[in-house]
Formats: sequence, C-alpha cells, structure tokens
Amino acid sequence: MKVNPNFLKKVKKYGAFDISKCFNCGNCTAVCPLSAEDASFPRKMIRYAQVGAQKEIESSLDPWLCYYCGECSDTCPRQAYPGEFMMTLRRYLIAKYDITGISGFFYRFPWIQNILVAGIFAFSLGAFAVYKGDFQELAAKIELAFPVYVTLAIAAYVFTFYRKTILDKAKKILISFDFSNIKETLIHGLTQKNFSGCSDTDRTRWIAHLLVMSGYTLTLVISNLHLLEPLKKHYGISDFATFLVFYAAFAILAGGFIMMYRRAKKKAQSSSFSHSTDWLFVVMLFLIGFTTAVVHISNMILGPQDPRVEMLYKINIAVEVAWIIIIVPFTKWIHIFFRPMAVYLRNLKKEEAQGKLFSMPIPGLK
Amino acid sequence: MSENKEFVCDSLIIGSGIAGMQAALDIGDAGYNVIMVEKSPSIGGKMISLSKVFPTLDCASCITTPKMAASSHHPRVKAFTYSEVEKIEKTNEGFEAEIIKKPRFVIESECISCKKCEESCPVHLEDEFEFGLGVKKAISIPFTNAIPQLPVLDESKCIRCAACARVCPKDCIDYLQKPEKIKIKAKTIILATGYEITPMTAKKEYGGGRLINVISSLQAERLLAPHGPYGKVLRPSDGKIPDSIAYVQCAGSRDESIGIPYCSRVCCMYAVKQAMLLSGSLPLSEITIYYMDIRAFGKGYEQFYNQARAMGINFVKAKVAKITEDQEHNVILRIDKQEEGSVPMEVKHDMVVLSQGLLPSNKNFFGLNIEKNEYDFVASSKPDFSPALTSTEGVFTAGTACGPKDIPDTIMEAGSAAMEAVNYLKSVKI
Repeated sequence: MKVNPNFLKKVKKYGAFDISKCFNCGNCTAVCPLSAEDASFPRKMIRYAQVGAQKEIESSLDPWLCYYCGECSDTCPRQAYPGEFMMTLRRYLIAKYDITGISGFFYRFPWIQNILVAGIFAFSLGAFAVYKGDFQELAAKIELAFPVYVTLAIAAYVFTFYRKTILDKAKKILISFDFSNIKETLIHGLTQKNFSGCSDTDRTRWIAHLLVMSGYTLTLVISNLHLLEPLKKHYGISDFATFLVFYAAFAILAGGFIMMYRRAKKKAQSSSFSHSTDWLFVVMLFLIGFTTAVVHISNMILGPQDPRVEMLYKINIAVEVAWIIIIVPFTKWIHIFFRPMAVYLRNLKKEEAQGKLFSMPIPGLK
Repeated sequence: MSENKEFVCDSLIIGSGIAGMQAALDIGDAGYNVIMVEKSPSIGGKMISLSKVFPTLDCASCITTPKMAASSHHPRVKAFTYSEVEKIEKTNEGFEAEIIKKPRFVIESECISCKKCEESCPVHLEDEFEFGLGVKKAISIPFTNAIPQLPVLDESKCIRCAACARVCPKDCIDYLQKPEKIKIKAKTIILATGYEITPMTAKKEYGGGRLINVISSLQAERLLAPHGPYGKVLRPSDGKIPDSIAYVQCAGSRDESIGIPYCSRVCCMYAVKQAMLLSGSLPLSEITIYYMDIRAFGKGYEQFYNQARAMGINFVKAKVAKITEDQEHNVILRIDKQEEGSVPMEVKHDMVVLSQGLLPSNKNFFGLNIEKNEYDFVASSKPDFSPALTSTEGVFTAGTACGPKDIPDTIMEAGSAAMEAVNYLKSVKI
C-alpha cells in the first residue's frame, strides 16, 4: 500500500472537520444503519485517510453509499464528525474524478464559482436583451445544446468513476447484466431508497430530496425536449404542460425551501456544515423552479405576445445557462449518477466474487 | 423543626465514605475533634456496597467495616448520619455549618436494633442499597453491617398501619419526629463528597435504562457480593443463570457525545475484577469485555489484567454502538470489531453490564467559594504538590470529590488531606 502523508491536508480543503481527534473506536461503523457486510464505513475511510491511503479511498464506493443521516456524528465519543468527513470525501472524490480539475478549483475557491455563475447569468441576460431576432428560436437552439454538453460531462465523470473503482483494480472490463441488479440500481436512482435506511426520525430530509430530485428531473426533461414555448403558445390551466411545470415548480420550491431552511437552522447533522457550494447549489435549484413557474404563470395570464413574458423568459433561460455551464459539470450535481452507480458497482463486485459476471480483459493492461 | 443544637469541632468532614472515614481517623488520632456528616443512614459510602477490590481481590466489606467501626467508636470522632449540609459560611473563627438531621421516626437513644419493626412491616420497597435489585421494608435497617444499626422509616411509602409501633419492645417508634437543625462550628472543612455513577439514562443508544438485563456496574457489584440480593449471580428478567455476560466499557465516560470526555480511571479495572469474580462464581459462562483501550495503570494492575486474559475472559476491541434486546430480553450489542476485513455485527448476550463513569456527587459545595474544574469536581489549588488543597483556605478535599480515582489513591489522598488539616489547625491555634 502506497501512502501519501499529505493526503489528509489535501482532503481538509474540502470541508470542515477534524478526524485527527478520532481514536478508531468503531462506534460510527457500528451505529450506522447503512453500513453492512460489503460496505463497512465510516471507520475504515477515516483510518485510510489518517494513514494517507489515498488510492484505497479513491477506489472506494463507500462514500456514495453513505446518505449522511448523521447518527455517527451524533454519537461519536470524540466529536470527530465522521458523517461530515464522508461528505467531505464525496466533495474530494468529485474533484478527483473531474478530468478538467475545475470542480476541485471551485471547491477550494467557492467565491470564484459564485462570480462565474453571476457573470455568466449577467452576460447571457445582456446578450439576450440585445438580441433582435426571434428569441423563441434562440431558446430552442440553446436548449438543444444543453443535452450534448451535459452528456459529455457526465460521460467523462462516469468513465473516471468506473476506471478508479473497477478498472484500475480488476484490470478488465466488468459488466453485470443481472436483472435484479439493474432493477435495484434504477430503484435507488429514482427513489433514493437508502434514505429510508437512515434514522426513521428524519423522513423530511428524504421527502425534500425526493421532491427536488423529481422536480428537477422533470424540468430537465421539459427544457431538454423543449416542451415549452411560452413566447409562441398561450397555455391554459388544463394543458398537460401546465401540469408538468406546476408539479416541477412546486416540488423544487417546496423541497428547496425545506433544504434551505434546514441548512440555515442547522438542526440535523447533515445540514450543520454547509459548504458554500452547497448553498449555491440549492439557491440555483430554487431559482430554476421559481423562474420556470413565473414564466409559465405570466404566459397564462398575459399571453405569449406580452413583452414582459419575453423578459421573464430571458431571465429563466439565463439562469438555466449559468446552471448548465457551471453547476452541472463542476459540482455535486454528478452525485445523481454516482449514487445509483455505486449501488450497481457494489452488486457487481458481489457477483464478481460469485464468478457470474461478464468480463472482458483489456489487452495491454496488467 | 426543633430548636437549634450547636456543636463545635476542629474539623468538619462532609461525607463518610472511605475518604471521609480515613481522614476522620487520621485527624482524630492526631488529637483533634472531628464531626462527619453523612447524607445516607449509614456511614461507609459506596465502598461498603462493593464486592471485592482490585487488584488484590480483598473483600471490600472486610476492609471497610473495621474502618467504620473504628471511626464510629473513636473518642474524638462524631458522625451525623442521615443528615444533609444546608450551607457553610466562612467566619472569622473558621466555618459555621448548618445541617438538617432528617427524622428516622425512631428514638435513636432508645432503639436496641432488634429488627422487630422491620419483620412486622407489611410494605415491601426497592432496596436502594442493592441498587434496586433486592427488596427492603418501609421501616428497615439500611443493610446488615450498617453503622449506626438504626432503622429508618420511609415516610412517603409507610401506610401508617402501626404494626412496627405495636411490636417495638422499647416503644421507640415516633411518627411525629421532625427534621432537626444543627449548627456546627469548625476550624477546617474536608470535602469528601464522593461520586455518583453516570445514570443509566445518559446514553439513549444503550437503551436509556429501559433494558431489563442491562445492569449498572454497581448492581453487578451487589450481584457478586457475598451478601448480595440473590446470594448468587442471576439475571434480573427471569432469574436465569446467565451463560454469557458482556461488559460495555466507557459507557458513560470518554464520550463527548454525552458531555463526559474524561476517563473515569476505575472502570477498566472494576470490569476486569468483576469478570474475574464472575468466572469464579459462574465457571461455565462466557465473559466478554468490549473496550476501546484497557487502562491498567496502577500498581499490579497490568498483571491483574493479564491474569484475567489468561483466565479465558474475552477482550474485544470495539466500542459498543447500540444496545437492544430480543423478545426473551436477551441483550443484543452492535459492534465493529477492529480487525482486517471486519464488518459491523450484532452479538447476543444473556446479560450486559455497563461500565459507567464517575460523576461528582456534589456540585455546589454548600455555598462555599470553591473553585471547580470544568467537569464540576473540586479543583486542587496546587495539584502537583498538595493535591488536597482547595482554593479556600481551611477547606481540603479528598477522594473522588476532586476527580475520579480508585480506592488506594483515595485513601492516600484522605491521609494527605488529614495531614494538611492538622498542620492548618496547628498554625491557626486560637
């Protein structure tokens, strides 16, 4: 095992915690409702970090299987905040798996990220304002560009994740076609079922997260498929699109509000140590839901020809542009994919041990 | 409340546990008059309820009872039992203490300790001397070797049937007794107020005191004591002889999540001692100690620990995170063994003992201006050279009142406090 003595110093840049207090009693792992036979955390992760076993951590799925109920931090006899350490590791890993290195830069200098988001928003809004052509057409083109950009970003992340956790160790491509595994992965991705494994007293967190996730995914579908044309069509209350927008907006606003409230109140462990990028994330999410809803409602009231609707629509698209360019590829957004992937790869490792796996050796890799 | 009585002494000792008694004997032997004030009905403190002491495995009552007898018969030592200190004031001549002597409802000078009242009483209560394991009567002598051998009537539980009054041969049951106010003038004070163990409710992950087969370490002491509640080791839920017993170390100290970050110093050793005694009384039982580290720091302690290992007691390095029970009240512990490839696991035991920590028993020091440390123990003003000194001149401290410690250290500190008090008395000779 190769150790990096400066590893802990590096990780510390991604969050506030002090695991040097930890004396490895194992309380956190034993109290964790999600820690199981094939995923024993957080003690091992903390130990690896203390000794500087960087590679062990970077190839581990465990950080993504933790849903941060905070029970470990609540009961830690040393108040070393193991839950926050797992959160910090997730930030570190996102930075590490980002081939551009920009995520890590943003995590370390969050104010630059804030300035960039504000700058891109202002720039696009200015550009839209001076644009003389048909804005609905332009919006359609912008929204068409989103999926391409997003897919590229996701693909890079997903590949690095797979390479670090599977390829580098197994030295061959491993794929599971097991139906139950694929089913479980989808269920986890859609419902975040693991939240329910967390302490049963904290349902609100799961519900808030589920609301935001579903609302956001819906918004993504709406914009990427360009379902809305608020400058061309006049929507009524009974339109299907109205229903979609209202659900998405309600889900994002309600969930986002709960999340922001909890982060501000710091009642639960999981919301007591907000990184400033977390704030940017929820605030931007909130804005997307809000502006989409405002555009739609003003379209319903004022009609598509009203210049005020166009104004609002431009703001809405500008928020989306800033979100897609900065937030999606360079923040914790990618956890949407990493979480279910971790479930899939964890099952895959189990199946590998049982020897019922599709595997393809890569020539040259040894 | 009856009229004030006044007493004068050289040294007033609060608490009559092993620290208080030792200090009283030492000061008395040096020729000064001592008054001990004890809140419970008998002198002897916590030590008289212990089974044996580590690391010699001497019988605890065999060491404590001679001290109790000696201090109660000492010509210069007087004890007020069942009495609470209300307040202590510093005056020009020394200190003036006000104590309340609670009514036993028995005329103390008349009682001949025949126990007839206890035998006739129809009311059964939880016995606090057995920490809730045994049963006592509403009027009873606190325990067999209590000093003084006087019964106490529990006013709140007594049904006023007068059965005791009818059988008393000396006619000394007095239902109308009132608390007595007593004034004591003293030149020095020794704080030997002792400790309480961390409450069973302190950690909700450990059942919060609701699990019947999870017992406190003092209850375990009583189970193991030769004159204990059942006469043998049985588990509370069904009276079964436990086949597997576990000790949960640091269940109430070294835990910042419950606000007690310090080490209580004795829990490792008393757990090892109890485990040894258990394997003597239940040779077929499995005994496991779950620990974070074993702190065997004193003279002969490491050998004692090694001896326990050699006797086949299992030591598992794992902090117990959660305690639950199954339908038969078997206790389930959730742990993470710290070994290569370890996974979180659940283990089942018939009975579990929590190795609780030590908390200060008294935190306000009766209005005396005494500096405390951050955990409310009495702070020594010169911890490195004269540990018995406090921030107030003339007030000394000994034993667990000024921090968790074991019996040998307590006795040494009591001797030191007595020496300091005697020197002080000599220097302020009036």
